[in-house]
Amino acid sequence: MEVLKAITISKNFGGVSAVDQFAMVQQENEITGIIGPNGAGKTTVFNLITGVYPVDTGEIWFCGKNITRLSSHRITDLGITRTFQNIRLFRNLNVLDNLRVAYGIKTHYTMWEEMVRGSRAKREEQETEELARSYLAYFGLDQYVDTFPYNLPYGLQRRLELARALMASPKLLLLDEPAAGLNPKEIHQLIKTLLKIKEEKNLSIIIVEHHMELVMNICQTLHVLNFGKKIAEGEPKDIQQNKAVLQAYLGDEG
Amino acid sequence: MEFYIKVLEITCLHTILVLGAYLMTGLTGLFSLGQGGFVSIGAYTAAIAFLHFNVPFPIAILMAVLMGSVVGFLIGIPTLRLHRDYFLLVTFGFGEMVRAALLHLAQLTGGALGIAGIPKQVDLPMIHVSILFITILIYNLKRSRFGRNCIAIRDDELAASLMGINVYSHKMKVFILGSAITSYGGALYAFLIMFIEPNLFNWLESAKLIIITFVGGVNSIIGAIIASVVYYSFGEFFRFVDVWRDVLLALAVLFVTIFRPGGIFGSWELSLKNLLPWRVKKI
Repeated sequence: MEVLKAITISKNFGGVSAVDQFAMVQQENEITGIIGPNGAGKTTVFNLITGVYPVDTGEIWFCGKNITRLSSHRITDLGITRTFQNIRLFRNLNVLDNLRVAYGIKTHYTMWEEMVRGSRAKREEQETEELARSYLAYFGLDQYVDTFPYNLPYGLQRRLELARALMASPKLLLLDEPAAGLNPKEIHQLIKTLLKIKEEKNLSIIIVEHHMELVMNICQTLHVLNFGKKIAEGEPKDIQQNKAVLQAYLGDEG
Repeated sequence: MEFYIKVLEITCLHTILVLGAYLMTGLTGLFSLGQGGFVSIGAYTAAIAFLHFNVPFPIAILMAVLMGSVVGFLIGIPTLRLHRDYFLLVTFGFGEMVRAALLHLAQLTGGALGIAGIPKQVDLPMIHVSILFITILIYNLKRSRFGRNCIAIRDDELAASLMGINVYSHKMKVFILGSAITSYGGALYAFLIMFIEPNLFNWLESAKLIIITFVGGVNSIIGAIIASVVYYSFGEFFRFVDVWRDVLLALAVLFVTIFRPGGIFGSWELSLKNLLPWRVKKI
């Protein structure tokens, strides 16, 4: 089943074409990679999918629904969550609250109920906390419940952001350079975790990444971007031998 | 004795206003210099309803709160799309606009002469109950979804919207609630001081509310309340240093921002867990 379909989306920033006629299809329960040199427009693709920037031309469909013109919070509500290239945790919320805030869309109590601590508000708060704690345990962060996120080591911050993106049980997860700044051991662990959660939660994942080992190991399909244009698409082993890709990464021979 | 009660009344009244500012500026990061506008709207609505239209006191207060909320909503529609400094400038303009309007609508508001002869209907217990009530409401909001969303928006609006938070409508809720609390304070003010005039609450007073919130600690309601009580009673009890009061406040602000950027109380809250640690069951 197609989870996400981008139909020739483009985005210009003041005359510079950041994404040019990009198209992709994401199948259910698959991991897709978007790679390319710096400034190729990979993160912009994520920003277009999640509604951070409006798309200039083209359409984006998610689970049979046109989400091209929806605002970010509606898109998250439908089931797309993401992480960020430069970690964006909430610095004034502790680790537990960073997870709880992401579950807000799944709760139903009203503002009035939380003002007077109504029974539904209490019950759903309890539910939120239990879920958050289970995710913290899953990611080995349970000892940091009361810590503020920017006091954590970098690797744990990345893990926390991943946990936060999973809180609202998304259908599609967008990971923006999840391996950046991690050491080889942590990357290995990340690969294992991603494959595991993909199976357990029937997730579809799109990864923007520079780290070739990670991408080659876990992605079923790769899209290669250069200057906003897609220059190749296919399985990792084909991409490795693709002439255009090698040229973009290494330059012309001779 | 009467003097002390008077001081306490004024102090506690300002604390209600600080609570409104805490909700907007402290929790959500909306820097509003237009709080004075809402105080005036509350005060004038209640006073005019009571004196000119013979509305009973409780209903006059209710009308003031309603008026504040409606004006908050209308002002919020365009301004809440703005960010930090732009928002601050527009709310500043709003506060001054209210002041100018009150001066020029002399038939209704008495212009620069203000409105005198408002009976004293507000006493200390009433203000205390109000503070308690408002504090509990804000505290409950702060520790559940509403408060987390506020802090998330303050920290990182983009990330907040990607957590599924409708940033604009959430800010609107905060702004309306804050306006309602502030105009409630304004309405009580009219029936406490018994005289109101357009310069009742200028933008400097609005700025003080924000400063007190920051000195107390943006993540601590109790911090804001304590800072407010200390500041407003300090000036009255130490009349002889009155001119130096603002200098001292400035120094306090300076030291707090340098040495404790999170405010004096940081994110400490008054709760059973903090006072009686042994009474809280282990989770």
